[in-house]
Amino acid sequence: MFTSMTNRRDFIKKMARLSAITAAVSMFPGILFAEEQERGLPKGGNLDWKKAPCRFCGVGCGVLVGVENGKAVAVKGDPKSEVNKGLCCVKGYHSVMAMYGNDRLTKPLVKKNGTYVETSMDEALDLIASKMKETIQDHGKDAVSIYGSGQWTIPDGYVASKLFKGCIGTNNVEANARLCMASAVTGFLTSFGLDEPMGCYEDIDYADVFVLWGNNMAEMHPVLFSRLLDQRLKRGVKIIDFATRTTRTSMAADKSILFLPQTDLAVANAICYEIIKNGWVNTSFVEKHCNFTKGSTNIGYGLEDKFAFKDKPEKISFEDYKVFLEDYSPEKVEKISGVSAKDIKYMAAYYGDPNKKVMSLWCMGMNQHTRGTWINNLVYNIHLLTGKISEPGNSPFSLTGQPSACGTVREVGTLTHKLPHGVVMNKEHREFAAKIWDVPVENIPSKPTYHTVEMFRALDRGDIRFMWIQVTNPMVTMPKLKRYRDGAKKEGRFIVVSDIYPTPTTDIADVILPSAMWVEREGMYGNSERRTQYFEQMVEPPGEAMSDTWQIVEVAKRLGYEKQFYYKEETHIEEIYTEYRRHHDNKKHNMAPLEVLKENSGMQWPYVDGKPTKWRFNSKYDPACSNGEDFHFYGKPDGKAIIWQRPYEPAAEEPDSEYPYWLNTGRVVEHWHTGSMTRRIPVLHKAMPKAYVELNPGDAKRLQIQTGDSVKLTTRRGEIILPASVNQRGVPAPMQVFVPFFDENMLINDITLDSFCPISKEPDYKKCAVNIEKV
Amino acid sequence: MKKRLGIISLFVLLFIAFIVIWNYSYYQGRQEAYIPIDNNQELPTIASEIGVFQRSEYALDYANMPIDEKHQRSLETYYDNRAFYGAPPSIPHDVESERAMGDNSCLKCHNNGGFTEKFNAYAPVTPHPEMINCRQCHVPENTQGLFKPTNFEKGSVPVTGANSAFQGGPPVIPHQLQMRENCLSCHAGPSAPKEIRVTHPERINCRQCHVPNNKVIEDIGIFKRSNTNE
Amino acid sequence: MPIKSYLAHPHQGKKDELILAISALKHCEVVPAQNRDIIVIVTETDTREEEDNLKLKLEAISSLKLLAMVSGFNTPQKN
Repeated sequence: MFTSMTNRRDFIKKMARLSAITAAVSMFPGILFAEEQERGLPKGGNLDWKKAPCRFCGVGCGVLVGVENGKAVAVKGDPKSEVNKGLCCVKGYHSVMAMYGNDRLTKPLVKKNGTYVETSMDEALDLIASKMKETIQDHGKDAVSIYGSGQWTIPDGYVASKLFKGCIGTNNVEANARLCMASAVTGFLTSFGLDEPMGCYEDIDYADVFVLWGNNMAEMHPVLFSRLLDQRLKRGVKIIDFATRTTRTSMAADKSILFLPQTDLAVANAICYEIIKNGWVNTSFVEKHCNFTKGSTNIGYGLEDKFAFKDKPEKISFEDYKVFLEDYSPEKVEKISGVSAKDIKYMAAYYGDPNKKVMSLWCMGMNQHTRGTWINNLVYNIHLLTGKISEPGNSPFSLTGQPSACGTVREVGTLTHKLPHGVVMNKEHREFAAKIWDVPVENIPSKPTYHTVEMFRALDRGDIRFMWIQVTNPMVTMPKLKRYRDGAKKEGRFIVVSDIYPTPTTDIADVILPSAMWVEREGMYGNSERRTQYFEQMVEPPGEAMSDTWQIVEVAKRLGYEKQFYYKEETHIEEIYTEYRRHHDNKKHNMAPLEVLKENSGMQWPYVDGKPTKWRFNSKYDPACSNGEDFHFYGKPDGKAIIWQRPYEPAAEEPDSEYPYWLNTGRVVEHWHTGSMTRRIPVLHKAMPKAYVELNPGDAKRLQIQTGDSVKLTTRRGEIILPASVNQRGVPAPMQVFVPFFDENMLINDITLDSFCPISKEPDYKKCAVNIEKV
Repeated sequence: MKKRLGIISLFVLLFIAFIVIWNYSYYQGRQEAYIPIDNNQELPTIASEIGVFQRSEYALDYANMPIDEKHQRSLETYYDNRAFYGAPPSIPHDVESERAMGDNSCLKCHNNGGFTEKFNAYAPVTPHPEMINCRQCHVPENTQGLFKPTNFEKGSVPVTGANSAFQGGPPVIPHQLQMRENCLSCHAGPSAPKEIRVTHPERINCRQCHVPNNKVIEDIGIFKRSNTNE
Repeated sequence: MPIKSYLAHPHQGKKDELILAISALKHCEVVPAQNRDIIVIVTETDTREEEDNLKLKLEAISSLKLLAMVSGFNTPQKN
């Protein structure tokens, strides 16, 4: 490696110094030399290692990107990152290769007479701005919309919200995180009044038992799962996999418990029943810190256009709640859920044991659920009843799937009802935002408009005429996809898509803008544990590719908002972040300044007095607690968390004689979401080249289907043919099938159902009725 | 009298000790809401020494092993299933179970290595057998085709024989040590690529002479002292 | 052209003093440890005599308790 080293003397000096350092280290383990000296360790090759958060999932691993001659050529885990401590997963290790697919979009494309014509960036941006003006003139403000993503960096989402809500004056701002995190958000808001987990990843180091609620962590959050495995090796912790399908996680867990789809609601209530029956309730905690409330029931599934729902919370007593739980004894629930009473009692016993610290982990299984908000509430109930919350190791923890679902969508608030601080319905919140945005407060409408599914329905109906889609691929991910694809293609719709590769979504675009991705620009992501991470620009974007932030700023200027979009091109990320921080300038949400983010491998908010807050609502760790007690759930006006009475209700579409199977969809470890990046990474594509349908071996035998056979899946929405997979990666329970959704050549979402949780408006991708036959 | 005092004080001592121990274990057994968090846990930048000696019990066996020239690996094939220098290798063979995360089904062969008839090769030994979710990072190849061609360029790899300071000097370690702290797993035994197989595996304290040479975060150039008066 | 590296132990509480004293010498590089009282010194001199002189100078520093050589190299010419 020293072929490039010309000065031998310098090299020898380094060797001499290093051997002395090594000797010192062996004499005094743990000895540290100044940062500069460490960095001065002799260099190897021309590689420059620079830190960034990983591009892919919401875990937010710290990675070091190796740059050689202006190109990113290697990745390793950042040993200084508290998230992953040097380990990555196969996607992270190969993440830089996602930048170099040879069909990268490098020039803006404009559709003219059915074909795409290359144009310059200036012209494309002019066209977008004039189209927006025209649409607003002809159809009103609420006819233009932006649909972003949990992969938006914080500045991307911030300028989008500022432009649409603050300047144009429409709440038509949504993001794909509605499809993955909305139920977690409403779960937090209804139970605690404030979004995002109270705990953090460090809980893993203290917990004794891990309950995974419908979460195939070994494949979807492998780096965190490896931390669990590591703890099992060191401390003998227990891992319980509670799921509808047998997966890698089930194989690795100490116990695997299968339940029938949708019945997690009943099981969670049964666990609460057991906790109360056995006297495991932490009475003083519940008395001091909890209220009991019930909400509406039979709340519907959102299948019809313009569906509206408003919950009617009603305070109840602990006694009322106990009466309600009478219907959920383990023996009764056994009949609905297929989980034996013994297994329910087994889980309840861990939650109830005062000497066991329990961490509950979940992701899409609980969130993509027509009662997603409810099941989130119910798991919090378990932790609140036992007082196992907000302290190291006792932690209900909602995982996320996108690198900045928390950082951008939830914290910046790129959802129709949200503002960076607070909601549009609240006058004070609107005034606060308008002041920082430097816009008249009347600009920000007080009524939310469309959530994601309804936004695409509005596009279909023609209520929305212009949509700008950034960093996401809805033409693969929308449920009941065919309706929304046809709707988007209708006459009189103008669609702009900013992306890095051609996807099914760019296929419906009138203008395609080439974006600069990840470390081709500067930005920040925020991960699941409230950690904000900064990354610098390391390589040049290809061709005319431009960051999503700057695309929006350019269009905003063309729309006449130069005053609000005063940012300079060289420093705009810093300026935007500094402005954004003003929205969260309080003890409950303060964000770390940019210098701190640059120096550290991310920093958790609330960042108060130069320190991150690891456990919120616990007065020992959280300076925002002010009631003089051990815990303070300050998100609610009376400082108390809510234990919700939520019943079991069936799924929107359950199997019947015509469609006798359950259809479940999801991911695989190799591919990330719609695969537009990971499929262009040779290693990952070679490992997992195409989608398939997993069958239960019993069902397969009865239908005489073997691995590789073509199988037709039919639902009320349509049909699709997929190769069968029997006894391979996962094994669904009898009368259930599973299909991964990454494959744009086999769009499983063409046949899924667009039912959603009436509270969170998040669709349920995990449950609909399907028929299967061999072809 | 003295004797009696002695006996009494002995019992008093025992009693106090009992109370102290009982109290201690009582408080140990209690669920404490508060765990003091040590914020100053610095992660060391000088690569961890853990693992250097991990396979040292086999060092003499390695030294006495004859070299099986017919089945030895070379660096050329070594880099074949790595996307870039330092990338986790992909799995060049069928796997026993798609559902398993790895663990024992991989470690059976890759913990200690050995010759397998089926692949007519020696199984490489993993330097990190304690990380059992193997398939988190290592994936098999199920197809040869690509979804779309790529322009990714493999960076350069270190050249053997060129990273000693001078003739006869001990070569430095050109690669990162994270998860590769256990030298002997890759540099000794029949599965080690022939170019990097160590001639003296019995001298197990490798890092006594071989020092790491891998830029950690960013290069600051050659160290210069600040008050140069030359 | 000798190049040598040493570990230097200062007398108690005199680490900063020692760093200053060594930094003042020609042909010496100083790499102090952050959390222990130990200093790495790298010397680079043109001739052996110079090297011996330097060593004497180093040993004369009052705040130095112990000087231990770790490695030494000699290269024929400066490039």
